[in-house]
Amino acid sequence: MTEIYATVIFLFVLFALLGSSVWIGLALMGVAWLGMELFTSRPAGDAMITTIWTGASSWTLTALPLFIWMGEILYRTRLSEDMFRGLAPWLRWLPGGLLHTNIAGCTIFAAVSGSSAATLTTVGKMSIPELRSRGYPEYMIIGTLAGAATLGLMIPPSLTLIVYGVTINESITKLFMAGIFPGLVLAGLFMTYIIGWHYLRPDQRPKPEPPMSFGQMVAESRFLIPVLTLVFIVIGSMYMGFATATEAAAVGVLGALALALTQGSLSWSTFSQSLMGATQTSAMIALILMGAAFLSLSMGFTGLPRALAAWIDEMNLSPIVLIAALTVFYVILGMFLDGISSVVLTMAIVEPMIRQAGIDVIWFGIFIVVVVEMAQVTPPIGFNLFVLQGMTRHEISYIARVAIPMVGLMLLMVVILVVWPELATWLPNNIRSGPG
Amino acid sequence: MRDWQPFLGLPLWAWLFVFPTLLAVCCLLFRPVLRPILSPVWRILDRVYLASGVIAAGFMVTILLLIVAQMIARWSGMTFHGSTEFAGYAMAATSFFAFAHALSRGAHIRVSILLNINNFTRFWVDAFAMLIAAITATYFARYAVKTNFLSEMLNDRTQGQDQVPEWLLSLFSMLGSAPGKWSEIWANTGSEWVYTPVWLPQLPMSIGTVLLAIALWDNLTRLLTLGETQIVGESVE
Repeated sequence: MTEIYATVIFLFVLFALLGSSVWIGLALMGVAWLGMELFTSRPAGDAMITTIWTGASSWTLTALPLFIWMGEILYRTRLSEDMFRGLAPWLRWLPGGLLHTNIAGCTIFAAVSGSSAATLTTVGKMSIPELRSRGYPEYMIIGTLAGAATLGLMIPPSLTLIVYGVTINESITKLFMAGIFPGLVLAGLFMTYIIGWHYLRPDQRPKPEPPMSFGQMVAESRFLIPVLTLVFIVIGSMYMGFATATEAAAVGVLGALALALTQGSLSWSTFSQSLMGATQTSAMIALILMGAAFLSLSMGFTGLPRALAAWIDEMNLSPIVLIAALTVFYVILGMFLDGISSVVLTMAIVEPMIRQAGIDVIWFGIFIVVVVEMAQVTPPIGFNLFVLQGMTRHEISYIARVAIPMVGLMLLMVVILVVWPELATWLPNNIRSGPG
Repeated sequence: MRDWQPFLGLPLWAWLFVFPTLLAVCCLLFRPVLRPILSPVWRILDRVYLASGVIAAGFMVTILLLIVAQMIARWSGMTFHGSTEFAGYAMAATSFFAFAHALSRGAHIRVSILLNINNFTRFWVDAFAMLIAAITATYFARYAVKTNFLSEMLNDRTQGQDQVPEWLLSLFSMLGSAPGKWSEIWANTGSEWVYTPVWLPQLPMSIGTVLLAIALWDNLTRLLTLGETQIVGESVE
């Protein structure tokens, strides 16, 4: 009985605090504090700091600020312009034409940045005006961009996966490797959608682009090659076991700095902006992680997660039903919370549940990322919607509507992941072993 | 509760929670009087937050340097004892020092549906949220400081292989003691390296959480005095 009582109080206070716009990290902390005082006789404050200190000073977490910093540096280079110019010559031949620059651009930027909003701004800054001037329909430009930018969460380095890995104590390298193929498949789905549009709506096709020689094509994309090299070094060093996730991140930061330097876009002001921006973002995530760590401690004392896992076990749900239920749950949660907060908020409860049900935690990490990707484009709260609103001055409702097909594709991706789990689990099981 | 024993005749919770709340209420009631008094304080605090953000950024660069050093050491066949612990300490310092700065720049995220309904909710919901956040952050800071003191009293040492020079510890204990004791401290300082006492890396936790609590109370008073939030540029992820 105490458990039901505890659940109700936890949920009620949690949603009251989150709803009244208390900062998410502090709201989690407040709920945890109340829970400890009400349901246990443990000294709440001392237990809180012990947990938070252990988590905050952990070596695994150091990958987070460095990957954020790497993305911040590249975000401030001329990458945005180079991306469109470099990709356009290669993609114009595909059915659907330059719309594919949205997808390919997001995929590439996602591989150097872990944030969806940064991916969106970097790619959209150039592709929106360019595509508009060429007469592509607005709903396709905005829709594909909103969807593809969510790849930033899945393709390594992914902040959401780092946070997930830190929360459940799993290898971040493995999670990153698991994200690669599903990320590419999802990008493929988006591109298929564009190709489908090309054949189904021939009346909306813009004029084909003028021809261009091969030499010109290479010349246009010469700036893109260093970025792609950096991607291969960062991901490759993790895959080959040369470097841990943190070390790969450090290499990424140095590579990004070198790239910005050779491009001539590294000044003291861009350097300090990138550094301060990364510091703020990483502090934001760190505060949420601390709140979540205290909340899982507090909930652990009440026995709630264990009881819930046992309950799920008694119900004898098949993993498929459990995954379906969790999908619905996360989609609803994602309407109000961002990806990272939904992950840390729920893991204390969900982790014992999925371990009990025998679901692979690495696979589940990829599943959860696909589901929270949808959260980025579902109203009323979806970060990509806000960013796109700022960039295009469209109403949120319009952006959300044109992004609906992308949400459908992401749901399809969940189905694909359930049918072929190897898509996520094959690569991490075949990493060369290396340090730590 | 022993944790809230009296300080200057009043229980500690009165100092930490009641007085700041009273100050906030005063800000609301006596806006014109308090505004000129508080303005210079706000300007100083803004600089303090920025300075702590810069320190945080410095620690982020430290993480990078530590990891690069660790990689170079490994490739050249040397060992860098305790590099992972040091990187962890730098990580904690980066997070804690940046809290207040991130708050003033609107980097901490929250659910703002209710906030954006109209001007009435924008003011009152924000005030409520800041009060709750400030109380929670004060609680956080109170125990961070307590843990820090306990680590020092119990002489808690690291579990890892990391060592620091003894003079560094003396430098910090000098700051925390009366000038009369300084010569005694340095007389007892050897030149060897010792396993890191936990209180040293925990200092940023105490400083950062106290600053976060101050920043929240500070922003609450600004909101109540000026009628609108001073947190600019609510940024996204």
